[in-house]
Amino acid sequence: MNARVGTEGPALHAGRRMTSLLADALVGARFLSVWIATGVLLLVAKIIAPEALQSTSWSFVLPYMTVLAIAALGQMLVIMHAGIDLSTPGVMFLGGYLIVGVGHHDNGRLWIAILACLGLGVLVGLINGILVGILRLNPLIVTLAVGQIVLAEGLRYANGLAEAEVPSRLSSFAQKRPLDISAVFWTGAAITVVVALLLRYTAPGRRFQAVGANPRAAWMAGVHVRAHVVFAYAAAGTLYALAAVLLASIRVSVDPAFGAAYLLAPIAAVVIAGASLAGGLASATSTWVAAFGLTLLNQVLLIRGLSTGMQFVVFGAAIIVGMLISGDRIASLLGRLLRPRPAPARIASGVEQDTG
Amino acid sequence: MQVPKVSEGRRWRLGVGVTLVVVALFVVAAALGSTSSTKSAGSAKAKAAGKYGEVYKADPKILAKTLFNAKLLPPRGMARNIALAAYGRASKKVNFNLALKCWKNDGCSTGTGGKLKVAYIEPFGENVYRHISKMEFILQALTYKSIGKIIYRSAHSDLNRALADFRAMIAQRVDAIVTYPDFADAELPVFRQAKRAGIPVATYAWGYVTGPGTNYTTVVGENVCKLGRAYAKIMNKYVKSGEIAFMGGFPGNPLSAGWQKCERPALNKSIKVVASEPTNWDASKVQQVVSGILAAHPKIKGWSYEYGLGMAQGAFQAYKAAGKPFNAVLTLRTDDVGMGCKTRALKNPKLKVYYYTAGNSQIRVALTALMMRLKGAKIPPKIVFPIQLQNEAKRTECVKGYPQEASATSLVPLKLLHRMYP
Repeated sequence: MNARVGTEGPALHAGRRMTSLLADALVGARFLSVWIATGVLLLVAKIIAPEALQSTSWSFVLPYMTVLAIAALGQMLVIMHAGIDLSTPGVMFLGGYLIVGVGHHDNGRLWIAILACLGLGVLVGLINGILVGILRLNPLIVTLAVGQIVLAEGLRYANGLAEAEVPSRLSSFAQKRPLDISAVFWTGAAITVVVALLLRYTAPGRRFQAVGANPRAAWMAGVHVRAHVVFAYAAAGTLYALAAVLLASIRVSVDPAFGAAYLLAPIAAVVIAGASLAGGLASATSTWVAAFGLTLLNQVLLIRGLSTGMQFVVFGAAIIVGMLISGDRIASLLGRLLRPRPAPARIASGVEQDTG
Repeated sequence: MQVPKVSEGRRWRLGVGVTLVVVALFVVAAALGSTSSTKSAGSAKAKAAGKYGEVYKADPKILAKTLFNAKLLPPRGMARNIALAAYGRASKKVNFNLALKCWKNDGCSTGTGGKLKVAYIEPFGENVYRHISKMEFILQALTYKSIGKIIYRSAHSDLNRALADFRAMIAQRVDAIVTYPDFADAELPVFRQAKRAGIPVATYAWGYVTGPGTNYTTVVGENVCKLGRAYAKIMNKYVKSGEIAFMGGFPGNPLSAGWQKCERPALNKSIKVVASEPTNWDASKVQQVVSGILAAHPKIKGWSYEYGLGMAQGAFQAYKAAGKPFNAVLTLRTDDVGMGCKTRALKNPKLKVYYYTAGNSQIRVALTALMMRLKGAKIPPKIVFPIQLQNEAKRTECVKGYPQEASATSLVPLKLLHRMYP
């Protein structure tokens, strides 16, 4: 039986227990900072740009934040496994043009067009997953290269298309407003809830998280780590394609800049939401909130009438600040500060040390 | 000594002979005179006909189609002649199969045996406007037997690649380069390099880079300052007072900077420009910008911009999503078919749309200017077309049979357009 070395008062013991509990709570709430930051942004917007919180503004912010959120969810799955995916713009670009080209203005072909787009996402994701997960190539370089190839193929495909409009049923869908909020928003919210529930409350979801949190331990527990990495990229590709479908529905048409804005913005959203680029836990709902915050910030800067240059400066600074206060960093810092330290060894005369 | 008398007969014969000589002299003089006047007339005809391998004459129907009005040519001098020569070539028959092959393959050999190589290179070539300009260039090049090779390059919005493409053309010693400088003065170094290598360069659609005539041969297009003033005239007449906004393309591009600089001071004092935002000519960004400005200024009455279809795709969506009717005055530069069709579909008499030509066919003028330059012509540094904004309500952009992103003022024949986009 071990006995404490030296004498420790009950108050000190209770204090140490409290800080330990606090540390656990704070680490568990690593994703809280993005919610707080977004709340602060809403308050600031209310003061300096109240028009950003009016219905005219929401009609833009909510649908577009949804597109960013869905793309960011895909990126989140990859980042949970210490990866990164730069093929997002390519998938969205070619996916968008597939909806136009396969759909060919025919509502009867809309579902085939959407399936073609999703199929593209799965295919590109699988390619990325195999190259990264099985062949162990560097994800930054590989996904960038794959993205460029997909983009080039998109340009070739788009060259033969004179019309750029999606089938009317898809654009009509985006015009629907249940409870006076865009149907695109509700669709994205539903997808986010499904992803969050799957990750948290299903066995495959937990295994997925475990592989991200500690691949070696997961492997030793018998989990197929490489298969999970391949799955992460394939699921990510599917989500990018879904984002392309939603964006095409809002935009009504596709153009050469389609998807270009989604290279780094999804990564920024995931990291600001509290995920670590080194892999590990992540939160779908916090990623959603981060996407909302970034889109709203853009709108506030525009309404304030800042020059384009200043908009870039403020936006970049906000991302840096967001990363500095991200839950991941705060959790590690607090964990270091509040970790219970072992009681100091004290040698008192006549007291025998228990060496057992 | 007695002078022998000349007999009557001899006198008569002498008189006839002198008369004949005089008549002959007159005839010769007349003949020489008519030859020179014929030569003069011929020379005059030759001057009217053209020089440097060109004919300064164009079909008025072609001019009316591409310029809205056959009179909207550069008003005088060599600029006018070049424009006439260029549009005159638009009537010539060319091999559409070869043109299509060239268009799809980003270049081709023309099969004429000509020695000249001409290039059309641009930093951004990925929309239908640029595709059509490319075909206009190819069709124009195919009217020249002296052109043996046509080259096309697009840098997909990458400046470094755009500069590399230019240098590659210089290294290949092409004979002429036509370009649209999306990156404006950032491309100046390669323009100068081409100049040093003796390769003439021309831009179109008022792709202005510093030093036309010095750093490169010529810029073709409309005077964008006058475009801005034309916009202001419309706003002054139909908005009268209130708030309007400007939108532009890539930050700092010469087209947007040009007209905005001139529209602002020409507006009524009671009209306030509440925002001036770049959009990268991206309809998503247009939607975001319009949505933001509309939220901050719900009573906005007018928008000045270049890209008609971008306005239709972005701004119309923003107003629709905001649940507001699009009661505004729009002044636009391009005459995209889709803009006209979407405007018509709205059936809103309070939406007034005024537009100019997209200017695809100006690329023909740019190429012809360079071909004339190669034959020794002195090319003016600017070939400027007058501006006349069209009222969508009176002359619609929505022309049947054309792709939505195309412009009906383009000189690419419709049946070829349908083969480009089946």
